[in-house]
Order: sequence, then structure tokens, then C-alpha cells
Amino acid sequence: MIRKLVLNYDSARASEPVLASVIRETGLLLNVLHAKINSQGGQIIVSVDAPEDQVHRVIELFKSKGVKVEELRQVIILDRDSCIDCGACLSLCPTKALYFTPEMKVELREERCVYCKLCVQACPVRALTLSKLE
Amino acid sequence: MPKTIDEINERIKRGEAVVLTAEEMVELVKSKGPEAAAKEVDVVTTGTFGAMCSSGAFLNLGHSDPPIKLGGGEAYLNDVPAYTGLAAVDVYIGATAMSRSKGMEYGGGHVIEDLVRGREIELVGKAYGTDCYPRTEIKTTFTIHDLNQAILCNPRNCYQTYVAATNSTDQTLYTYMGILLPNFGNATFAGTGCLNPLTRDPNFRTIGTGTHIFLGGGEGYVVWEGTQHAPVNGRGTIMVAGDLKQMNPKFLRGGTITRYGCTLFVGIGIPIPILDEKMAIDAGRGNEEIFIDLVDYGVPRRERPVLRRVSYAELFSGEVTLDGREIPVSPLSSVRLAREIANTLKRWIEKGEFLLTEPVRRLPTDTSIRPMKQIQPVLRVREIMTKRLVTVGPNETLETAARLIKQHGIDHLPVVEKGKLVGIVTSWDLAVSIGTGKRKIAEIMTKEVITARDEEPIEVVIRRLEQHKISGMPVVDEKGVLVGIVTTDDISKAFGRKR
Repeated sequence: MIRKLVLNYDSARASEPVLASVIRETGLLLNVLHAKINSQGGQIIVSVDAPEDQVHRVIELFKSKGVKVEELRQVIILDRDSCIDCGACLSLCPTKALYFTPEMKVELREERCVYCKLCVQACPVRALTLSKLE
Repeated sequence: MPKTIDEINERIKRGEAVVLTAEEMVELVKSKGPEAAAKEVDVVTTGTFGAMCSSGAFLNLGHSDPPIKLGGGEAYLNDVPAYTGLAAVDVYIGATAMSRSKGMEYGGGHVIEDLVRGREIELVGKAYGTDCYPRTEIKTTFTIHDLNQAILCNPRNCYQTYVAATNSTDQTLYTYMGILLPNFGNATFAGTGCLNPLTRDPNFRTIGTGTHIFLGGGEGYVVWEGTQHAPVNGRGTIMVAGDLKQMNPKFLRGGTITRYGCTLFVGIGIPIPILDEKMAIDAGRGNEEIFIDLVDYGVPRRERPVLRRVSYAELFSGEVTLDGREIPVSPLSSVRLAREIANTLKRWIEKGEFLLTEPVRRLPTDTSIRPMKQIQPVLRVREIMTKRLVTVGPNETLETAARLIKQHGIDHLPVVEKGKLVGIVTSWDLAVSIGTGKRKIAEIMTKEVITARDEEPIEVVIRRLEQHKISGMPVVDEKGVLVGIVTTDDISKAFGRKR
């Protein structure tokens, strides 16, 4: 299962190659979904597709290197029966998780979603819903 | 050799008519030219599916026993107010009316969708009672099948072209053009480009009163020009009507534009008879030839600044260029459903089930829209702001600021450094800094200052004050130079004077 982690950097960590070293030490592919970081610190959201124990190791490694980790435990659902394919959500999506197929149908790549909720508000027929994972 | 609508109808009846969707016609005109296309093609079908707020339905509820005169009284359908200024049991449910209990989440557009879905609707009515209509209250339920008539009648639909919207401000805006992110973070646009019905017949040669159309999944007619019909500016509109009972909820959907209001998404398709080469040229224009204005919705005024002209081809690419930047774009109308409408209409005509009509009255081609006549002058910030400026520097002490506030009897002190506005300090900021050990203005000032422009109407400024929960704003001119300050005090004084 794909898990998504929010990495919060302070200014001390922002200038260190923390992400690179976690990738090297675990050998896992960490996919950057969203990044807003400069020398003052900031946030990176990564996804990792790995078994439970390895994800746990990733989290522990970040923590040991001084980066705060939060897991995104939510799920977004696009109700295809309700969607009218207007596309109002598309330009708001920061990770291009929502996109048009060549037939101009709206589809969702859940694995890319960072749960910013903008699309949920933008959908005029309320076809997108966000819920918390237990 | 020009064709007539009668000749085309004969071919439709014989199953011989050549029908293309607008997208197919664009390709044909590109490859064979308009002359050959005009000879070959009889009808071009179009489609659009978008939010059309000027929509609604007339419902005749039938008479209760004892009878009630809802006319002039009140009627609520699923708690959404319907217009009753009609005869006893006629009501008009408008798309933008909002539920009394659910607000924007459920409105007239949703009531119409629920009617078409055959769902039960709750009616609550109140009347004043007369000798012939003694009943004063009613509560009942009905479905669309229980109604004598349910007539969709939309006074303004199907804009020929609309605009694309973006936002120059540093705030997210919730508009009828959808959510617009700050600093040109995205853009949105309405319309389906070459599929848009009125773009295919921009001179209204065949679209007029009486034109037979696809409406909401069923059949309908053009009744009249729509309100705000402005063909001179490329923004013609139509008024349409049709029997709601034979419509399909796939093509009539209630919608909520967050923090704007309720609406109805309407599917419309118009068949365009290709009478001659001139009509083939118009019906064959591609998305790269149809341009609309990209407008800055950061300016909440009637005349919003146009940033550039942009083609539907560029808009459909998913990004528009603005000052060298690529901005992601959202359509607001559904191209997928518009295509389905154009294809459905094509199939109906090919099967001989749908005939074209000659308009019985042409729509005007020379009208443009006029603004509202306003008899009260628009009060602007520069007329009510305080121009005598008391400011403070960022390196001055809190004591200096406190003395200035007391001396001038004010609450807001703009912080200015080298002629530039760098912050604001209020009497509240000073009060809460007591005992914190802070000494300099720079340590306590608000750096992200919300400002007003001197030429802005005060209604715009009042809304901004409310949104940010503040009581005053420095006023800057177009160069960003501080020219005054406007506070809730100034506003209440101005309103006091007006009364």
C-alpha cells in the first residue's frame, strides 16, 4: 500500500541532504509529491510504496535526522457516477492527481493526492469526498 | 446552390441527411474547404453543458381542497423558496434560490434535478386566505408526475462566448468562475469552444424564435433572445423552454459554486442547418480561431481589466501563458457531455426523429448590454478617507506610537520607511505588547498590510474589512504610495452623512 508522509524541516535540517540519505540508506524510492522548502525550512510530502516494516524504518530514519514526520491518513474518492467532467477541479490540484483522459473525462490518481481539499470545495456537484483513514 | 430548411427536412425524413457534429465539421472544412463542406453537409450539431444561473421551471401544482391561493403568498419546495407572484397554484422555482435550512448546499437547481429524477418534493405553502381560497397553510409532497405542467423556462442560457478568469490579488477568491488561486495561481473558463451552439451561427441566421433544440436531454425551443443578449460583443444569449417531464437528469444537474451560490447545469444542443458556404465557414471555425478575454477577477468591479485575448485551443491545452508564465487552466463546462449532446442530436436527426425549424422571428443582431442606471453616486474611498496622515517609523519606540495614538485620537498607525508602507500598528497591538519586553515598532507591527486603493467604492472596502476582521486599512494610490487611511469610523461617519 502506498503511504504518504509529510516531512517538516526546520532551518537547521533544510540545508542537509536528509531526504537523499534516507533514500540511500533504505534503498527505497521516495516519490516527492509536493515540496515547499527553502533555507528557512519547509515541508516536503513524499509517497512510499513498501511493506509496513520498511515504511516504519523510513519514518524512524527521518526522525533520527531531526525531521518531523506526520503520516497522511486520509482518502479521497471521486464518484464517477456523479462527476459531470467539467474540470473545475483540475487547475487547483497541486500535484496533478486530477487529470483529463483523452476523452475529457476527469480521473483521479489517488496515490498523488496530498489532501489539500481544494477540489472538494471546487466540485459543483460534490463528486469528490475526503475521509479520514482509521 | 443554397439549400433551404425545408429541403433539409425532406432529406432528414428520407434518412438521407448528412449530419456532422461541430468538431467533425471543423475537420471537414479544414481538409476540404467551406465550399465543398457546404455542398456535402446538411446539418451541424452542437452542444454545451455548463452552469446557467438564469434557469428555472414553472410548475402548476393543481388545486387543493379547500383551495389555497399560493399566488402572492409563500411556497417552499424542499425548503427552497419558489416565486409565487403568479396565479393561485403556479410557482416558478429559480435555479439560484437557496434552501432556508441547507443554504448554498441545496438550491432551486437541485430541486429541478430531483423533480426530473422523479423524486418526491415537499411543498410548504402559506397564504392570506380569501373567500374563494380559504385555506392558509398547506404541507404535502409531490413528484413531477403529479404536476399539471412542469416547464423548464430559462431566461438566459447558452452564452455565445464567455470569458476566462484569473486572480491578481494575494487572496484566494471564490467566484462564479470557480475558485481562483492568488497571484495568478490558476485560471478558469466557460464554454465548449467550437461545440458552443451560438458560435456556429454568430449572425443568428437560423437560430431564432421557434428553433427546435436539444434541451436537458429532451426537446425544447428557443423562445426569444436571452436577457443581456449582446451579439455586438460576441455575447449573444437565448431564452429557452421545454417540457421538464421528458428531460433527463444526466443533462440537468443542480450545482453549488462554493461561497458563490446555487445554480443549474443545463445541457443544450442546437442543430445548425448549413444553408450555404458562408454558414459552412462559420460552422467550421476551429478552437484556435475563437478568442475570449482573460479577465482579472481580482478587481471586483463591473469593468474588470482584460489581461489578454486567449483562444479556446490554448485554454483546452490545460495552460495559458501570462507574462511568460504557464498558468494551469480549468474548464467549467463539460466537453465530454457537450460531445455526447452533439452526438445524441446527430443520431436523432439521422434517424429522422428530430426535424429542424425555420425561425418565426429573427433574434436581434445589433444589441449590446447597458449598465444598471444608478441614481445614487458611488462613494469612493478617497471621498471618506482620512488624508491627514500620522505615521511612525519601524525603528521608533512603542512609547512614541502610544503618544501619537493618544495625541491624534486614532487607532491605526501606518509604519513607513523611506516613503514606503512597511507595516501597521494598532492601539490593540500596543496594548497586548505591554510587559512583553518588546521595544520597537518593527517587533510588534503587522507586516502583511491589507490596503485599499483610493478609487475603490466603499462597498468593496467594507467587504475586505469584514473578511480580514480588521477595522482600518491604509490607502495607497496606483503607485503604492500611502495617501491616507480608511477606518470603520470613517465609514460610519459617511453613512451617517448620507442619511
